[in-house]
Amino acid sequence: MKKKTGLFVAMMVGILFILGACSSDDEQAESKDTIKVWTMSPALEEFVKEYENESGMTVKVQTIPWENAHDKLLTAVASGEGPDVLQIGTTWVAEFAEAGTFLDLTDYIDDYENFSPDNFFKGAIETTQYDGETIGIPWYVDTRLLFYRTDILADVGYPEGPETWEDMIDASRKLTARGDDQYALDMPTTDPQFPFMLAWEQGWNYKIGEGAANFEDPAFKDAIELHHLFFEENFSQLEEGKEFFQAFSDGSKPMFFSGPWDIQTIKDRAPEIDGKWDVHLMPKAENNKSMIGGAHFSVFHNSEKVDQSLEFINWMADPETQVAWYKHNSELPANMSAWEDPALTEDPMVSTFGEQLKSTQPLPLIPEFERMGQELLTTLEQINRGGVDIDKALADYRKEVSSILEE
Amino acid sequence: MNKFKSTITPYLFIGPALILLLIFSFAPILVALAISFTDMNLSGLANWSQIHFIGLENFIKLFHDETFRQAMLNTLIYVVIGVPSAVISSFVIALLLNFFSNWVSSTFRVIFYVPSITNIVAIAVVWMFLYNQEYGLFNYLLSLIDVDAVPWLEDPLVAKLSLILIAVWKSNGISMLIFLAALQTIPRMYYEAADIDGANRFQKLTKITLPSMSFATFFVTVTTLIGWLQFFEEPFVITDGGPLNGTNSIALFIYQEGFQYSEFGYGAAASFVLFALIIVATLVQFKFRKTD
Repeated sequence: MKKKTGLFVAMMVGILFILGACSSDDEQAESKDTIKVWTMSPALEEFVKEYENESGMTVKVQTIPWENAHDKLLTAVASGEGPDVLQIGTTWVAEFAEAGTFLDLTDYIDDYENFSPDNFFKGAIETTQYDGETIGIPWYVDTRLLFYRTDILADVGYPEGPETWEDMIDASRKLTARGDDQYALDMPTTDPQFPFMLAWEQGWNYKIGEGAANFEDPAFKDAIELHHLFFEENFSQLEEGKEFFQAFSDGSKPMFFSGPWDIQTIKDRAPEIDGKWDVHLMPKAENNKSMIGGAHFSVFHNSEKVDQSLEFINWMADPETQVAWYKHNSELPANMSAWEDPALTEDPMVSTFGEQLKSTQPLPLIPEFERMGQELLTTLEQINRGGVDIDKALADYRKEVSSILEE
Repeated sequence: MNKFKSTITPYLFIGPALILLLIFSFAPILVALAISFTDMNLSGLANWSQIHFIGLENFIKLFHDETFRQAMLNTLIYVVIGVPSAVISSFVIALLLNFFSNWVSSTFRVIFYVPSITNIVAIAVVWMFLYNQEYGLFNYLLSLIDVDAVPWLEDPLVAKLSLILIAVWKSNGISMLIFLAALQTIPRMYYEAADIDGANRFQKLTKITLPSMSFATFFVTVTTLIGWLQFFEEPFVITDGGPLNGTNSIALFIYQEGFQYSEFGYGAAASFVLFALIIVATLVQFKFRKTD
């Protein structure tokens, strides 16, 4: 019995010793040359090695999948235990800025060469401004374009792709007429930003002061009607249907809207249609505005290593680094001078994205907007699937919006 | 000293468990109850001075919320269809397995139990392929007998039934084991006596097996009912409450409000409605059992 007790004590001591060794290890890593970075890009961990070599700093990168990032940030805000530098998606800026997640960078802008707002796309800078504060420095941007099958669109008379929404509708009619199970466009039904893009293109714009009254604008109704038309006339499939890239490849859904990441996805998933597809600017109605999204780097509000963090962000914001990041992970530079690099100018598809970036708009920066977008998707589902009358659905939506804004 | 020792010993044994239970189960319930009377959201989380007491406003709003009412109705349908089918099917499976006591029985026990320990995401992926309208197995089989494609997950009502089917299939394993255990504790002599009296199979089932199993049935029914009232995983992973909110459940609604929209106060209020429903449903069952 005694022997056993002795063994047990020895084991406990051993465990404590190991735990102790671990924690002292952590403390060492917490020295002032180490910054912690949270990102949703797994590729960053590899990428920062170069910065570590250049600067002698240690950058501890923790990758969080996008699906968990919101929860993880929530916990960080609630507990006050965050990283030094964190990546933030543009649509989350308002929500987290209101909760006081970020350090205001306004006073630091002049101290670092790459922080000047003039360096970046205007839309990207707009999403770093919240309530008079600068909460981050743009890292990469993304926008949406029309992806289309050149061969199939040529058959219906648009080899260069449809230029306006009228062209879109005309082409869609012909494409749908090809027969059963032939559609024209894969209309996004889960992207809350997409219906707002349609509305901007109809000349609508959200004015923050007006709240729910914004949605009384007839231009907004035009956008909803346009959206509905694609389902009403079967240009788009309401059901889940075939696996999308298969449908794009066999031509039953020859058009869709998406961001730069899908260039690579199509190359990987549908290599057989190489050379038979291209990207085009957003179709035009009043204008052809697309959304601008992407991500910024921010400093967590209670970070003790502000200077080191800003130094790192400054390096990430450098045009050269941004081009290198594009080559590394295909994400588009937010820094405009990076777009002069041949790596971007010589790829026609990427330069189309560059061109579209000049005609973009950020979503309104109010914390409730995410919710408004989700409710709009519900409203559209009621119209397209549930057969609810558009005027009635929009009236309900306005009621919903005013109750969201009241909260 | 000895007396003191013997009085304190049981408390020392259950003490740690009790403390953990108090800290991690009861305290959060009380905190949630407090939160349900406030307008706490993300900014309130960071800065407590932003939280305001708003009384019963959340609860009043809940019952005017179309989405919540729909979620309540859906949950009711899940319970009304799901609980009886889950209990009856697992009972029948247990009864059938009890007929054999050879390798057939053990093999099928494993087959029926496997879904219970399989990750829900894996189950969802497989079933979504089965349900797929274009190339799913179910619609293919239906097409062989000239039945039109069924919109398994695309129609609010059909989608509800599709989810119920998955959940029943998944929950059978555990209930079946409990029934099997109960079946095997019924003394053989009852049946021998019945044989002597010349009872047939049906009489033996209704007069011996069913009454002897009443406690197991009660236990399974109560736990199954609680489980179905908290129906969450299937709609969360497979349909996300759609189409047209037709598969949303109260538990999913709580998740959406609390964690997707960060409306903690509102979500907490909804969770108390669910809490009350579960307590009432369980009490009603205990009441019925007493009258037995």
